[in-house]
Amino acid sequence: MSVKIEVIAGGVPHDKIMIAGLVSTLVCIYLTYLNAFTNTEVFSFFGGLAVVAALIWGSHTIKVLCSYGIGTGVPSAGMIAFGSGVIAMLLATKFGMLAPIVAVVLAAVIGLILGYVSNNILNMKIPAMVQALTEMAVVGALTVMGFAAMITGGFTFTGLTTSTASFLGFPITSYANSFLGGGLIAVAFLLGAIAIQHPFNACLGPGWKQDRMLMLTAECGFLSMIVAAVMSFALISAGSALISLLVAIIGWAYTYSQFFEMSKRDAAAWLDSKPIPDTEGQ
Amino acid sequence: MEHIVFGIGITALTGALATVAGSAEDTESNIGSQGDPNSQVQLAPQMGFLHRIFNKAVAGEPPAYGLWCALGAGLAWAFMAMQVNAILAIVLGCILAVFVQGVYATTAYLGRTASLAKFGQPVYVDIIKSMTTVTMAHAFIAIFCTVALCQLINGALGHPFPLPLLALIWGVALGAAGSATGNPYYGKERQYQNQKFGAGVPISASGNIVRYAEAGERNSIDNGFFTHKIGGSASGVCFGLIVFLELWRTILFERIYAGWGAIAVGVLMILIFTVIDRYIEVWARKNYGPYTVAKEADA
Repeated sequence: MSVKIEVIAGGVPHDKIMIAGLVSTLVCIYLTYLNAFTNTEVFSFFGGLAVVAALIWGSHTIKVLCSYGIGTGVPSAGMIAFGSGVIAMLLATKFGMLAPIVAVVLAAVIGLILGYVSNNILNMKIPAMVQALTEMAVVGALTVMGFAAMITGGFTFTGLTTSTASFLGFPITSYANSFLGGGLIAVAFLLGAIAIQHPFNACLGPGWKQDRMLMLTAECGFLSMIVAAVMSFALISAGSALISLLVAIIGWAYTYSQFFEMSKRDAAAWLDSKPIPDTEGQ
Repeated sequence: MEHIVFGIGITALTGALATVAGSAEDTESNIGSQGDPNSQVQLAPQMGFLHRIFNKAVAGEPPAYGLWCALGAGLAWAFMAMQVNAILAIVLGCILAVFVQGVYATTAYLGRTASLAKFGQPVYVDIIKSMTTVTMAHAFIAIFCTVALCQLINGALGHPFPLPLLALIWGVALGAAGSATGNPYYGKERQYQNQKFGAGVPISASGNIVRYAEAGERNSIDNGFFTHKIGGSASGVCFGLIVFLELWRTILFERIYAGWGAIAVGVLMILIFTVIDRYIEVWARKNYGPYTVAKEADA
């Protein structure tokens, strides 16, 4: 039985973050469906916003789970979130418009099974494990779906596996030039997996502050969105990709500068080219 | 025959690229104190040893390099899909991937150090400015070489996997090679030069890393300079051998028994390396191990 070594002192309670994260992620993913209604791709950037919302929720879940003394397990928590989530996400894309809801349900089931296996069969006996693994599988599934919606403009299986290019003036269907066929899902997987674990991994310690960590999560999300927007130039129209890129750059610049401010606020001292202070406890 | 000669040429080229990548990767991670030396750098201020060492723990090296390489390859793939020339596409992709790596490095250092405020560890702005750029430069070499070798495997050798997936696999392998081969040299030797050679890290010495240099205070560029000589080269040879031997056995033996020939040679190579490793380990323990009674003490 692990002992909880840290408490969440102050800040927004986890349940509130979870509900807000789930609702805003689903709303943002569904907003990309406006692409299908309006027959454009300009709403793809909502996929990136869904990624940011899901990551904020997920990084706080990692904080809750890893408070039970799983120090070196922080990066692996990100990996298992996406490993379990990507299965649910791929299967769910076969359900058309219902895909995000199906992804949530399927991922929750997979996470629940993994949590049960970890706690009862591998005997880890960590109180938050079952709920945290369930939440992280859902976050993983929704994040990869958000990336998919942002890069391809939709979240249906056909949209992820095919693309149309024109060859000598004739439109041809290509399977290799798609989100799945081109292996971009591997990039989305790792972009999310590193972004979800980095904030807590980077901010852990006695001086952990919730607002600083969550600001860093938003920064990681927008940073991932920048590169995803660059990749989306290959699969959606240049104008739509440009909108995603602009939204991402503005969001990233704001959150990055805010994170610098918060680190300055929390740091013991902010020195430039100064020696090690004399106040050592040697 | 022509096919095999061409394949061996590409294999040699990928092996050379991998050697450069491994060497640059290890130096980059040592300058950033990534991997297992990180825990001691993180622990030092808590034990009262404030320092000026860069500490960018993004993740373990394998997942981190999995991301940088997959990202570089994904962006290169996207540029190639936009009809950009392959070499230019790889360079552009790697530049953007290195930008992401640099941003992650700064936030990792800031986050960790700010959370250690209780122990008086200050944030050094000059460290962020000088070390981040050096790690970015090394990371660029490592990522570029890895993505280029993946492009060779995919384009010239006709591997069926798409470029980003290949880069993910080889990126994880690159991080693992650097982490397993080069890191002990930094984490066990460089950080603990003040301890007896081969003594490990006793609990009483935890966090007491070497913080002062020959002149002035040590920073992470000194560590990169020191470890590149042996740790970096060893990582380069390690990753170069992995890539070279893997492709060599595939090219030469894959036509024997419909691919089973290559698998049999792979198993044989693992057995040969196990024997060599065991021999070196026993030899090193006998000659350098601290656990034998010193001869002078007998007299």
